[in-house]
Amino acid sequence: MNKQLQALIDSAQQKWAAERASGRPRVNVCVDTSSLARGAEETLQKMHEVARTQNIAVDINVTGSWGFCWLEPTVTVRTAAGTRTVLYAEITPDRVEEFLQQTVVEGVDIPEWALGVVEGNPTGEIDLLSDHPFMVGQVRRLMANCGTIDPGNIDHYLAHHGYEGFGHALEMSDEDIIKEMLDSGLGGRGGGGFPTGRKWDFLRNASASPRYMVCNADEGDPGSWVNRVLMEGDPHLIIEGMMIAALASNAREGYIYVRYEYPLAVERLQTAVDQAYEKGLLGTDILGTGFDFDMVVFRGAGSYVCGEETGLMSSIDAYRGMPRIKPPFPAQAGLWNMPTNVNNVESYANAPLIMRNGALWWSEVSDQKDKGTKMFTFSGCVNQPGCAEIPYGPTVRELIERYAGGLTEGSELKGFQAGGPLSGILPAHDADLPLALDPYRERGMFLGSGGIVFFDQHTNIVDLCLWMVSFCEFESCGRCTTCQGGSARAVELLRKMENGTARESDIERLRDLIQTLVWSNCLHGQFTLTSVKLALNFFEDEFHYVINHRRDPAGSLDGLHRYVVRSQTDPQLPDAVDICPASAFYDDNGTWTIDDELCVQCGACKEVAPNAIDVLDRFPAREHAAAAAGGS
Amino acid sequence: MKAEPTTQELRKLVADFRPGRGHVMPALHRIQDTYGYITRKAIEVVARQLNTTPALVYGTVSFYDDFRTEPPPETEIKWCSGPACHMRGGDRIRRALEAELNMPMGGHSDDHRYGLHLGQCNGTCHEAPQVWVNEKVVGNLSVVDAIHLARRVKGSE
Repeated sequence: MNKQLQALIDSAQQKWAAERASGRPRVNVCVDTSSLARGAEETLQKMHEVARTQNIAVDINVTGSWGFCWLEPTVTVRTAAGTRTVLYAEITPDRVEEFLQQTVVEGVDIPEWALGVVEGNPTGEIDLLSDHPFMVGQVRRLMANCGTIDPGNIDHYLAHHGYEGFGHALEMSDEDIIKEMLDSGLGGRGGGGFPTGRKWDFLRNASASPRYMVCNADEGDPGSWVNRVLMEGDPHLIIEGMMIAALASNAREGYIYVRYEYPLAVERLQTAVDQAYEKGLLGTDILGTGFDFDMVVFRGAGSYVCGEETGLMSSIDAYRGMPRIKPPFPAQAGLWNMPTNVNNVESYANAPLIMRNGALWWSEVSDQKDKGTKMFTFSGCVNQPGCAEIPYGPTVRELIERYAGGLTEGSELKGFQAGGPLSGILPAHDADLPLALDPYRERGMFLGSGGIVFFDQHTNIVDLCLWMVSFCEFESCGRCTTCQGGSARAVELLRKMENGTARESDIERLRDLIQTLVWSNCLHGQFTLTSVKLALNFFEDEFHYVINHRRDPAGSLDGLHRYVVRSQTDPQLPDAVDICPASAFYDDNGTWTIDDELCVQCGACKEVAPNAIDVLDRFPAREHAAAAAGGS
Repeated sequence: MKAEPTTQELRKLVADFRPGRGHVMPALHRIQDTYGYITRKAIEVVARQLNTTPALVYGTVSFYDDFRTEPPPETEIKWCSGPACHMRGGDRIRRALEAELNMPMGGHSDDHRYGLHLGQCNGTCHEAPQVWVNEKVVGNLSVVDAIHLARRVKGSE
């Protein structure tokens, strides 16, 4: 091991040990975007306030996320003697005083708030965290530090094998680093699955320099936040991964491109980069090895298409994030037309693990074709919207049952959406597919970067397609007519269905558009109608039903419904009139009526006065709908 | 509302940025972080500092949804357009907010006291459906909650 690095690690380990031997109990509050949404900042402030005013001797710290996003704010407490650490859920500000009093001052557990014992023995009332149903089956490698270390403290990272992978890489040749990466079988975690080692090798063999290392942290797929968990929980892991890649391929400058919507990730990465410079891990002559590497944290400004690698590079070097035509590929002409490697956050984050533990250790966790662990986030009609790290292989249904906590009450799974708006929609029976790349490719979509959104019988498939295609239309960069015009036209056609003015022939028009959008220059246009294509494969009947019957059993196509006053005498009717944001109620000679032209179908009146308001079908029944389905 | 920055102030603010180094976005961010939005003068100053044209700088500003060319409203309701929110009635909340505030998505009141902005999913889907009020999550909203929120923001309740 490099001597300077060893000295940094030794010093960090001493500091870590000293922190733990402070003789005071230690309270760690998870502060990330998910927990902040549930009051973590207030919890943290309250902790400090109570500790100060009540003179409680306690060390209060911040960590990243354990993945229990739906149970935030989560907090761990370690006893003064260091014998035990317990993880607690939902420590809201109003619970802080009681919480500190019991767990810290009196040193007593609160079993009803506890999730599990992190360190030490289970108590009979509190099981080991590793036995918690959410944790069983998870393999925390990427997330090993998430929830346990302070992401704003490089010494915490160094004390947990941080930069050891880079240390190993320093002792290896370029070829050996790349061979190790290839042997591991790591495929690109952004969804493509292309061997990461091969990408690095392309850059290594490029003829020009300077070369650039770019991290795609523009995690724009709605419903996906795996990269955010890593960036906010363990930012140095990503930086170390990029350093290893740079070492192997002779790059001298790195950019981490983070989306605008992740300000905390930007802040934590910037802090991490600054600290790495201070320690001599970034900059010139790193650790006395002669290796130079600079790193820039680059903020996006709200553009989905900048998550496409060439759009991302344009956003850095050419201002507008317009994707470029490939080839040339980034390894030939990327940033400023120089050789560039672009990987996803999670791809880079795996590199230190592979360098530290070897390709074999890394790959044998999974018996699948796809190697290693993968982080997933899940949302929609499930009980536990959270983040888990598992080896590839379990089925989607297992993911729902084991990690997502099952479907919400009353939900019947209708289907799920994986891989973001450019990917597809699959029906419920495909929940038996394993979480691996090939089965989704075979269906013409991709598993993607880890976000999976589940929907139930209350979502109409036309509505879901409209949502996805509208998103893609909004985010089109505008260069290709096929994409900009095509997505706008597809939105129009789906809107006609939503509003009851579509014809059967509109389905054929959608199919035509599917054929022309694939000619778009970049992935964005090429995949904009994947959702519609797969929806027409698996849910075609629903399109015909919506068009011909103009009915929506799911209840989510608002254009096919109208709100009417059912009971003039219902005591809650005045509340309904009052809540209407569109002033759609009018008094027609003592009879309250809803003006269809003004009504925005928001349903607020029905919420406040369920017995006074009815939701009816907007259109009369079509007796010959079946016949209409035949012609167009 | 802050006074519009002068050319001198703007030049000073972006003096350390250099042409050809990918500094357009960072310069624009710094201006927006400082003044809340990007003024016409700022576009000219950035163009000059980075040895490019106002057309290209304006093209950049207009390309991204989160660069502003007007002062932000005092209170901004950012509506989450994400899938988990959508499946829990997010669109109804959007229409109710637009109707109650009498503005389209992206609009603001004449006096800049309040406005409505389209937000992108940031993975706090456990709070769906949600909006952000000046970047703070207000989650698990019913349509009625959203209307009351809009009325409070307007000052009519």
